[in-house]
Amino acid sequence: MPKPRIVAIDDEVEFIDMLQNYFVPRDYVIDVAIRGAKGIELVKEKKPDVVLMDLKMPGIDGDEVLRLLQSMQPSPKVIFITAYDDGGKTKARLLKMGAHACLDKPLPSLKDLEEIINKAAGG
Amino acid sequence: MAGLIWTISDLLVAITCAIVMFILLKYGSKKEHYLWAFFNFILVIWGGGTFLAELTKNSNIATTLWRIALVGAVPTSTVCYHIIVVLGGLRRQKLLKIFYAYCIVLCSAILLGLAGMDIVYINNSFYQLQAIDLRFKIAAVIWVIIIALSMYELSRLIHKSYGSERLQYKYLLVGWLTGFIGGGINALLMCGIKVFPIGNILVCIYCLLVTYAILRHKLLDIEIIIKKSLVFAGLLAAVFAILILPTILIQEYILRTASFVGRIIGLAISGLIIILTMRRIETFLINVTDRFLFQKKYDYKELLKTFTSEVLTVLNLDELMSLTVDKLDDIIKLKSCAVLLFDEEKQQFNVMASHNLKDPSVKLIRPDGIVTFMEETHGYLLMSELKKKKLTIPSTIQEIIDKLNAELIIPMVMHEDVIGVLSLGKKKSDEDYDQDDLDILLPLARTLAIAISNAQLFVELSKTQADAAQKEKMAVIGTLSAGINHEICNPLGIARGQCEAFLLNIKDGLYKAKSTEELLTKAKEIMAKVIKETDRATAITKKLSGFAKPSKGESELIDVAKEVDEVMGLVGYELKLEKIEVEKHLHKDLPNIFVDRKQFQEMLFNLIRNAGQAIVEKGKIKITAQHKKDKMIIDIQDTGAGIPKDKINQLFNPFFTTKDPGKGTGLGLFIVRQVVEKNGGRIYLKETNVGEGTTFTLEFPVATPEYVAAMKVAIAKEQAQIAK
Repeated sequence: MPKPRIVAIDDEVEFIDMLQNYFVPRDYVIDVAIRGAKGIELVKEKKPDVVLMDLKMPGIDGDEVLRLLQSMQPSPKVIFITAYDDGGKTKARLLKMGAHACLDKPLPSLKDLEEIINKAAGG
Repeated sequence: MAGLIWTISDLLVAITCAIVMFILLKYGSKKEHYLWAFFNFILVIWGGGTFLAELTKNSNIATTLWRIALVGAVPTSTVCYHIIVVLGGLRRQKLLKIFYAYCIVLCSAILLGLAGMDIVYINNSFYQLQAIDLRFKIAAVIWVIIIALSMYELSRLIHKSYGSERLQYKYLLVGWLTGFIGGGINALLMCGIKVFPIGNILVCIYCLLVTYAILRHKLLDIEIIIKKSLVFAGLLAAVFAILILPTILIQEYILRTASFVGRIIGLAISGLIIILTMRRIETFLINVTDRFLFQKKYDYKELLKTFTSEVLTVLNLDELMSLTVDKLDDIIKLKSCAVLLFDEEKQQFNVMASHNLKDPSVKLIRPDGIVTFMEETHGYLLMSELKKKKLTIPSTIQEIIDKLNAELIIPMVMHEDVIGVLSLGKKKSDEDYDQDDLDILLPLARTLAIAISNAQLFVELSKTQADAAQKEKMAVIGTLSAGINHEICNPLGIARGQCEAFLLNIKDGLYKAKSTEELLTKAKEIMAKVIKETDRATAITKKLSGFAKPSKGESELIDVAKEVDEVMGLVGYELKLEKIEVEKHLHKDLPNIFVDRKQFQEMLFNLIRNAGQAIVEKGKIKITAQHKKDKMIIDIQDTGAGIPKDKINQLFNPFFTTKDPGKGTGLGLFIVRQVVEKNGGRIYLKETNVGEGTTFTLEFPVATPEYVAAMKVAIAKEQAQIAK
């Protein structure tokens, strides 16, 4: 099975860097963007299996982006990774809207993330 | 001249004694009062008789008058003894009867001319009594013996008595000794023994002493002395003296031969003087009586005035305590004084301010007798009263009283609770506290209780305000937690992920192709990144904890631009997430201001945070700082919802909020204003328009060297007062 293609959107350059450090040696195709708009362009262009995205970024609204991504053909699986915590309200809403997963920063383990990504791409 | 003094002093004795007698008969209520009146009556007979006897030139009349005068003098010693017996509650009835019987016999003998005496014309001016044989001398010796006995009994009474009673007895002893020595000198003269004739003057001094004691020290408990009767008596004496003096002077020295004409002229001059001086004498007498005899009433007035205007209005508890002690001490003239306050924590009364206590560390502990008594009865404890009632005081309580040096202990009651105790020592004058004192001191203690309670509430209030400010700050930090969480968790997540990725890559054999050197370089890279991220997380944590700590309350020179940046470090990310743009117009080279750094950050934080919350979706916050004359003006402008007109007046009220429940305690602006004012600044709403936005302005004096120096002096003063 080919490795899932990933697009990661996060305004934290270091976070993106970290993801690349992990996924690139494992032969994943991972494209990154540090701005929301650029990220969406990237998704349109690369048609990834999975999108990793920070929920709270300047100029980005999670709900809106999710809707946009879901409207695409084919629509990627969306995994939110965020340090934002409002008691789980936003998380629940996004999951209900069809987000594949919502993960907290810091991530418990990159291995877990990898598993989730694979599961998302496979399912 | 000696004869003249002699005559006039006799008159003065008669007048003074007559006045005392009059007062006693009018206001007296006890047996000793009437006895005292009788004593004065016989002295009036003596003084009046001798005065008249010395005036007359007729030897027959002089003889009769001298006999009458002696009838007054003889019983003085016996009546004196009688008074002492009554005062001391002694049982000497038989002896008294013998003395009185002897007096009657002797007086009868004198009146019948059987007492061995005669009169001589001396100094070429008046008739004087003279003893002619042993009978008179024996009578005089017996008179002296009875006096000696009286004085012995009196000195024993003094030894046994206490407080003001003791003082009164002392006055009596001194008075009587003076008087009787005077009488004794007269008797010696009459017996032909040459001594300096100051007897009558001493008798006069006796009269004055006793009168003074009656008025000033309540001798014989005659409390009510009507001022007018005293002024009247003084006037009477003055008029008499004026009337007699010129008459006698003229008669004696100027018109000795023409005695009748002399008297008329003398009288005329006297009349003139009286008419001219009457008013002045009266005013003078009123002033003198006011000042020396009724001084206490003035003290009361002063006490009330001082306390209502100077003491009870003080809100600083320590100052109130020490002022109370000082002023009570000053006005009532106390030997010692203390104010004790109840310590809720330790359940005891501690000395808060005191003067001249034996042991200032004395404590009244709750189950102690004194405390229980006051809590149950709300009543006072007056030592002299307890002693009079012959109540035995337990030694533990006596110990506390001794430590307090207390004579009068009054509870300070507020809402049925004894919040403190006023402990007054003896008066310096040794007078006892009487009803008049209690009538003013008890209400004063109640009023003091209110003032103390106010001061205590004030202390608590400022503590509550500080607490509220801190709570508000923590609440606001709580609302920031999302943003702050992001700022902490992001770097931690990155640091963790970088390490994990590296380790997993090695474990999974992904780095097999790399040389050791390459791996080392990779590891170095990752470590550098981890350090960078950890520093990021540390910085925000430091900022947060620094902000959350209560301020030390110390002013320092502050660079406004730097503090704005500092606060933006805390709120910036949150604003960014809310899509709020922050625009800073901080003019270069702004002068410093002199404020508490933390409190200044708090103000900015609250105002910027409020501005952010006023903006519903997207917007701008503009922070402007500019220097105008000697003021630093900081505007915080938002493009938010604005404040409705009907809410503007409530803006700075506590608990007023336009935010959703849970988003703000409403204490924000209320506390901000308090903090701003505490730092010498001003905050106001500059402009607000519904739907357009709001501008708040902070205004602080520029920290010129003069301003800083003045503030430092003010702070030092405040601290000195707190320390005091």
